[in-house]
Amino acid sequence: MKVIQIILITLVLTLCGYLVQTVTYANEYQTPNQSSVANDFVDFENDLIPIFSKFGCNAGACHGSAAGRGEFKLSLFGGNPQADYKSIVRQLAGRRINLMHPEQSLVILKPTAQTNHGGGHVLDENGEAARLFRNWIQQGASYETLRRLERVEISPQKHVIANLESPIQLYADAHFSDGTKRDVTRWTVFTAEDSSAIEIDASNAIAKLKRPGRHIILARYLTEVVSIELIAPLNNAEIQNNHRTIENSQRTKSSEKIIDIEIQKLLSILRLPFSGTIDDATFLRRVTLDLTGRIPTTDAVKAFTTDTSRKKREDLVDKLLESNEFNEYWTLQFAKLLRIGAKERNTQGAFVYHEWLSNQIREGVGYDKIVRAVILATGDSHEIGPANFYRTVDGPREQAEFMSELFMGVRLRCANCHNHPLDKWTQDDYHGLTAIFAKIEDEQVIKVKPSAEVIHPATREKAIPRIPGEKYLPSDISDGRGELVEWLTKTDNPYFAKAIVNRLWKAMMGRGLVEPVDDFRSTNPATHLELLTALADDFVKHGYEIKRTLQLIALSDAYARSSNALSENRSDDRFYSHAVKKPLSPEVLADAVSDVLDVPDRYGNEPIGTRAISLVNPNTESDALDILGRCSRETSCENSDEAIDGLQRKLHLFNGDLLNARIGVKDSRLDKLLIQNKSPMDIVSEFYISALSRYPTDDDITFWQQHIDFNESANSQRAILEDLVWSLLTCDEFVMNH
Amino acid sequence: MNTVKRCDGVSRRDFLRVGGLTALGLGLGDFFHLQRAFADNNTIGAKAKSCILIWLDGGPSHLETFDPKPDAPQEVRGPLKTIPTNVTGIHISECLEQTGRIMDKFAIIRSMTSPLGEHNLGTQYLMTGYKPTPALEYPTFGSTIAYIRSQNAQKSDGASLSVLPPNIAVPNFTGELSGNGYLPSATRPFSVSSNSKDNDFKVRDLDFYEGIDLTRLSRRKQFVNALNEFSNAKDADGTTKTDSDLERAYNLITSPEAKAAFSLSEEPHDVRQRYGQGGVNGIGHACLLARRLVERGVPFVTVNHAGWDTHQDIFTLKERYPTDRNAHLPSLDRALSALIQDLTDRRMLDETLVIVMGEFGRTPKINSQGGRDHWPNVFSVMLAGGGVQGGQIIGSSDALGEFPKERPVTPSDLSSTIYTLLGIDPSFELHTSDGRPVRVAPDGAKVVSELFA
Repeated sequence: MKVIQIILITLVLTLCGYLVQTVTYANEYQTPNQSSVANDFVDFENDLIPIFSKFGCNAGACHGSAAGRGEFKLSLFGGNPQADYKSIVRQLAGRRINLMHPEQSLVILKPTAQTNHGGGHVLDENGEAARLFRNWIQQGASYETLRRLERVEISPQKHVIANLESPIQLYADAHFSDGTKRDVTRWTVFTAEDSSAIEIDASNAIAKLKRPGRHIILARYLTEVVSIELIAPLNNAEIQNNHRTIENSQRTKSSEKIIDIEIQKLLSILRLPFSGTIDDATFLRRVTLDLTGRIPTTDAVKAFTTDTSRKKREDLVDKLLESNEFNEYWTLQFAKLLRIGAKERNTQGAFVYHEWLSNQIREGVGYDKIVRAVILATGDSHEIGPANFYRTVDGPREQAEFMSELFMGVRLRCANCHNHPLDKWTQDDYHGLTAIFAKIEDEQVIKVKPSAEVIHPATREKAIPRIPGEKYLPSDISDGRGELVEWLTKTDNPYFAKAIVNRLWKAMMGRGLVEPVDDFRSTNPATHLELLTALADDFVKHGYEIKRTLQLIALSDAYARSSNALSENRSDDRFYSHAVKKPLSPEVLADAVSDVLDVPDRYGNEPIGTRAISLVNPNTESDALDILGRCSRETSCENSDEAIDGLQRKLHLFNGDLLNARIGVKDSRLDKLLIQNKSPMDIVSEFYISALSRYPTDDDITFWQQHIDFNESANSQRAILEDLVWSLLTCDEFVMNH
Repeated sequence: MNTVKRCDGVSRRDFLRVGGLTALGLGLGDFFHLQRAFADNNTIGAKAKSCILIWLDGGPSHLETFDPKPDAPQEVRGPLKTIPTNVTGIHISECLEQTGRIMDKFAIIRSMTSPLGEHNLGTQYLMTGYKPTPALEYPTFGSTIAYIRSQNAQKSDGASLSVLPPNIAVPNFTGELSGNGYLPSATRPFSVSSNSKDNDFKVRDLDFYEGIDLTRLSRRKQFVNALNEFSNAKDADGTTKTDSDLERAYNLITSPEAKAAFSLSEEPHDVRQRYGQGGVNGIGHACLLARRLVERGVPFVTVNHAGWDTHQDIFTLKERYPTDRNAHLPSLDRALSALIQDLTDRRMLDETLVIVMGEFGRTPKINSQGGRDHWPNVFSVMLAGGGVQGGQIIGSSDALGEFPKERPVTPSDLSSTIYTLLGIDPSFELHTSDGRPVRVAPDGAKVVSELFA
């Protein structure tokens, strides 16, 4: 079987650890054209640091590690050239350089393996790199720098190739402050995110795709890291994806068509055919689950499938968005994001926080105002809900990380210890943001404490409050949150709207346009960048109203696409050629089970009838949530795995209480139907509608007619029907939003 | 949940699985490959049928365990003493006294080296042999072995698989990893939860629910399979897959013999005593359970022993209060020596590979809080049984335990060695759900052949 191959591109950053599969270093690059450097003065920062990066000397595995290597430490990827200069010129009593005999300098002898070097033979003694070092030492080994790097231009930035075999030449040009431009291709490190998909010849910077799909190369020159996107179609023949759907759509405004335009554009390039459109029953189930966290009632299924209005999907979405169920469910979604209840002992705080949030959602308060309120909150956290934002994590560093992941979708963590290796964040950004939060006292009463400060680990002086990536605040500012929130919620903030829109998209479509959703980076590009930008702009234009964005998505063709994969698009998991099947979240599944059985579950000491999605305390006692998985909110709930092993869950379904204790009890749906003397096949149908939101098909009916013995005793018929209900609540179609 | 958190306190959230949820069957071509994977090893004469991995979660200090530095300055040497073993010239930590008495069964690699000093990354590297990459999550040893063993058994004549899960973690798998990587989720480690009250283990939900008998259980399974077959959520090309978790659960519930494997109460009191009842985090009984499981044909058992992330007061590894006999090192010593002795007495040691390791070592210099921080540059791994030549030290670290001095061994090399010992060709190719071939152990990894008996 010929299997379509698709690549997953997910860049990962964990704490301060980063890793990129680096291209194996070929022998040192020997370029015939050396005119650009031959007669030049050698500039430490611009000419030598790139050599350290190119040959991996300042990588985390070598001298770039926090402790250095072999007593020689370089800053990670040359993030701190001054420190590197000191290491080379001053440390070890200056023995690393020899001004009298440059060629005898340790900094040359070691990497050329003329003397024992733990890292082996890295540079060719007669190569360009070694020569640059010699010249620099000859010229006096000064730090003098003639120009500042302004930007690196990498080309191509995005490239579509028709033929897998065609080589792609990569280029890097450095633009300097003095107006000069230099070809720095040979000093640029090109790294394939997935080395099994892209082969890069380090000696000539030529890339070749080994597999079709969309792949990413990271290019690093000095501190600049840029991504290159390469695309090769997944099928040989052009495909006939039907564009008429867009043109014929009732939605005429271009802003309402943007989703389908962008998605189909990429599918056409990739030559991925898309699956069909879902029927009404499936649409009803999908959108009801996504917008309200519930499966549709039997009445809703019956009404919607018989409704003949042409606008019924639009009407349905409007109705759901205005429902109480929507408010309840989206309160949960945001409570998870804000991690309400993360501190188990702060029950009073969690209660008022949840109450406040639920009011905001009910009143349709703009997302910018919600965020403004939590960031600026002060006062008694037992009375003022949003003040508990400062009682979610411990300490100003954690608060800075939490804030940036949540509201900017970026991970600053790496920049605690060193400048972020794959992004622009510096230690100044990290500790500057920390300095803002350090002044917020996070006891029960949240108040500003102007004297509080944090120490910047690199300067060992107090960190200057700073809006990350933007500007320093006056060092004596007592409360920098106002400036922070102004910047964050300004309409042109590059992070704020995108971060939330991406999360809304994921809630509806099963995968973020940027994934992981809290890891926005230029080196982790969105699958559909224009779409993300357009959605974010639209969101801002419509007053940061989440309902607007959810509606836009819910009414797109992409949203209504079937999740049934075709053999040609089966392995697509990110281009939306078919819908992504989403497992019901633990709370939603627990409620759905109770709804189908028509028997409520117990949650701690909450009143009978409390739904799992309305629980304030994420640790409320519940066997159902233990089995189905729960997020305690101690850490982020995003990307969390299924809490319990599949085998264990199935063992419990067979032998545990979750289903067995409730299926046929008094007043359950089954019990009531039996008391009403409904025929077995009517009962089958009723359960199909309540659990799967559809009527049984002919296959279904035939099967059940064969398996229900109509001559058997009432007891054994009841047992069979119990087993039917059990299997409906266990089958794939029920536990997925498909 | 681990009872002891690692220092970062971060849950697994960064690594997405590729195709891990797609249970792709093997084509016929793969069957022949699988046969080859084993055939090739006849030349090496692999003996190990199963493997017990004692995972010291958090990163055990090499200096307080298998690579003490008695001659180093105080701040490197640390507070613990060194003792000789029954093999002349081999010294280990004073807390591993009983282990030292059977040192002839153990081999220690003292020159393990890795660049990854963060828990999650180090764990992945050590447990898969591959440096983690964002593009693909690799399967851990247990999952790879479970996969190859089960595929092989299914295809060979009449051989039937144990209904016990092929990859079991006691009491659970290390928190940050799914384990199965790109392999089907059925190869994921199955957690045996601990019952903290009596330091015993119990698998939940193994017994029939009141009023539900075997007939109804099998009817329920049949109904689910039918519903999945008629499902509206099925892919358009009509392929159906049976719910493998459902099948496995059913098989386990309906086998009394399999269920008995988990009952430690069947073991005599003195045996339980020997493994240690009071050890921190139940490592004694975890090792005993591991023995019962491999005895019944489970190919891979991970004993996950949490709490080795000793940033503070390294001395607490020996005792947490005066007269403490159940701190990490003494508990490990009792459990490990009892396990090896027990396997020897039952003539199982030759076919059971026992590995003791964690994700990295600890900083040679004691920090200001009397602890040691992460140090992947050099650390130790201990192996026994399964065709390993005991009584030897492989490689060495330098005088201060900072870097390898002789014969550096990478986690990739180690993985290649472990697979070889278990009779799997390191170059054997598995396939991701999108059909991409991936070697069991990374290309270029070198087998540590001195280990072989």
